[in-house]
Amino acid sequence: MKKIRKVVAILASRLVLVGFLLVSAFPIYWMFNTSLASDAELFGTGQDFAPHLERVGEVPQKLEDVGILGLLANSAFIATGVTVLSFLLAVMAAYALSRFKFHGKGLSGFVLFSTQMMPEALLVVPLFALFATFGLLNSLTGLVLANTAFSMPVAVFIIKTAIDKIPYEIEESARVDGCSPAGQLGMIVVPLVLPSLAAAAVINFFDGWNEFLFANTFIRQQELWPASVGLAQFMGQYSTPLSTVMAAALLFTLPAIVFFLLVQRQIVSGLTAGAVKG
Amino acid sequence: MPHISFQDVTKKFGKSTVIHGFSAEIEDGEFLVLLGPSGCGKSKMLRVIAGLADMSSGAIEFDGTVINGLEPKERKIAFVFQSYALYPHMSVYDNIAFPLIMDRFKSWYHVPIINSIARRIIRNTAEVKTKVMEVAQMLELEPMLSRRPRTLSGGQRQRVAVARALVRDPDLYLLDEPLSNLDAKLRTQMRSEITDLYKKVKKSFIYVTHDQVEAMTMATKMIVMNDGEIRQIGTPDEVYHSPADTFVAKFIGSPPMNIVEVTASGTGADLPNGEKIALGGKAPKTGAVLLGVRPEHVRVVDANKGVSAVVESVENLGAESILSLTFGAPKGSAEGKGSKILAKVGGSSIARAGDTVGIEFEPGTFRWFDADSQSALN
Repeated sequence: MKKIRKVVAILASRLVLVGFLLVSAFPIYWMFNTSLASDAELFGTGQDFAPHLERVGEVPQKLEDVGILGLLANSAFIATGVTVLSFLLAVMAAYALSRFKFHGKGLSGFVLFSTQMMPEALLVVPLFALFATFGLLNSLTGLVLANTAFSMPVAVFIIKTAIDKIPYEIEESARVDGCSPAGQLGMIVVPLVLPSLAAAAVINFFDGWNEFLFANTFIRQQELWPASVGLAQFMGQYSTPLSTVMAAALLFTLPAIVFFLLVQRQIVSGLTAGAVKG
Repeated sequence: MPHISFQDVTKKFGKSTVIHGFSAEIEDGEFLVLLGPSGCGKSKMLRVIAGLADMSSGAIEFDGTVINGLEPKERKIAFVFQSYALYPHMSVYDNIAFPLIMDRFKSWYHVPIINSIARRIIRNTAEVKTKVMEVAQMLELEPMLSRRPRTLSGGQRQRVAVARALVRDPDLYLLDEPLSNLDAKLRTQMRSEITDLYKKVKKSFIYVTHDQVEAMTMATKMIVMNDGEIRQIGTPDEVYHSPADTFVAKFIGSPPMNIVEVTASGTGADLPNGEKIALGGKAPKTGAVLLGVRPEHVRVVDANKGVSAVVESVENLGAESILSLTFGAPKGSAEGKGSKILAKVGGSSIARAGDTVGIEFEPGTFRWFDADSQSALN
């Protein structure tokens, strides 16, 4: 009886999980399905539930026509730039906030946090003026800077929380062993907070990859558009190539998924187990 | 192996002083134990010696050279932390090799990628390998060199921490309660291993503990601390047999020294009930004083001999028994009033709780303390 109850419980939990999976995956499936539908089906007879796999060969041509590779390259530049810059700044800021005593430490934390209280849309106009002054309009570097300003504080708090949990004796031990403060950060602290660094990198990468508002406002040259803006421009007043948009959107989601898969191995806990007593 | 001189070392946090004017001289090759209750400032003092914490005033000299302000590495010390503080992301080999790698590390090795290449090259050099293997062999760590700290037992982790200290061949070993996280059996084993190590390396050790058994068995010299102050400096024997004040008398020894309020007069000590303790000698001072006597120097005899006492409780420990006794209560006072005293007797006690017995003190074993200052008089 006990065994049956256990089996039923497992089956029920699996069923719920499958249900969640279906609900989550359906939009992606529908995106894929739509990308293989014809205009006649989309705007006339209605889309079939099963995808028309025989039309897969037409997709690359459609994507080439809209210059998807250029759009993705711009998005990749912004996402990588935001991730790398946020990582470098956030690690040092988090270490300083976690380990050092200095005047204005609380205020620094508050100022960093306050950037998350303001909606990005509120800062579009002042940032536009600022970027115009510094010649950063129509520049991908400008977008990297703007997005880093918003993404980096989140990374700081994620990494700081992880550093706070490292027993300070480990760094003191390294200090006794002759390790400089930079060495303590690079050789001891960073390897111990890798899971949090990976989590922060995922968030920063997605922030940069999904960038739309600033790019749509600050970038006037079509060849500098990231994919998010490029996709939005497909929507015409009189016609929208829905299947092409969906194919491009599907391709747009792939790099983010690949990046997540690459770093997810690092998002594991318990790395500090065994460092101290117990 | 430096001669260490502490000159009025003081450590303050804001307005509160945690170490008050610590002054002492430590000879080469001493096994010094800093002993005291939790919060007495002993670990803080060790961190000051290591250079991990700054002192507020005073000076520490190694062989006549003031080392205030020097980085821990420049002091040629090794530190074994209470929590081991191993690097969890490194193997046992890399943990032990880390100080050697740091000795050969150049500032430009901090550049990412170069850093990991440089460390890999240094760790694989013959010199580093030989030193790590030597230490690993000494501490029987060879079979676990490729393992991570989290896969080791407490005792093994402790040995890795000691190995990491040992590999640097420092002049001074600092150990901060290194056995406090081990179980009783392992603690005894590690205690003798550390003592053996001390004899083998022939260097100075400063060892912090609140465990008097560790202090008594390992130290060649002890500093007993309380509330950030030195209460006594001496060998374990001196501290045990000639405590400098009532704090040390009560802190050292299990059970602690008995302290009895008496009125000294010539060759006797009067109790409140008029009975007299025979001293077999002269008290250093007449009038109200405190008489200290170790439980093993209290003899339990027949009721018609010595000073009359009532047995309150008996703890039978097998090889010996601890008797808790009350004596010297003025006539007519409530039951249980009077001076409390503990007596340690060999084997199982024949006395039972509630029995009236006689107690005698071994002549020449008394320690006298001033009733006001609590300091020793003899």
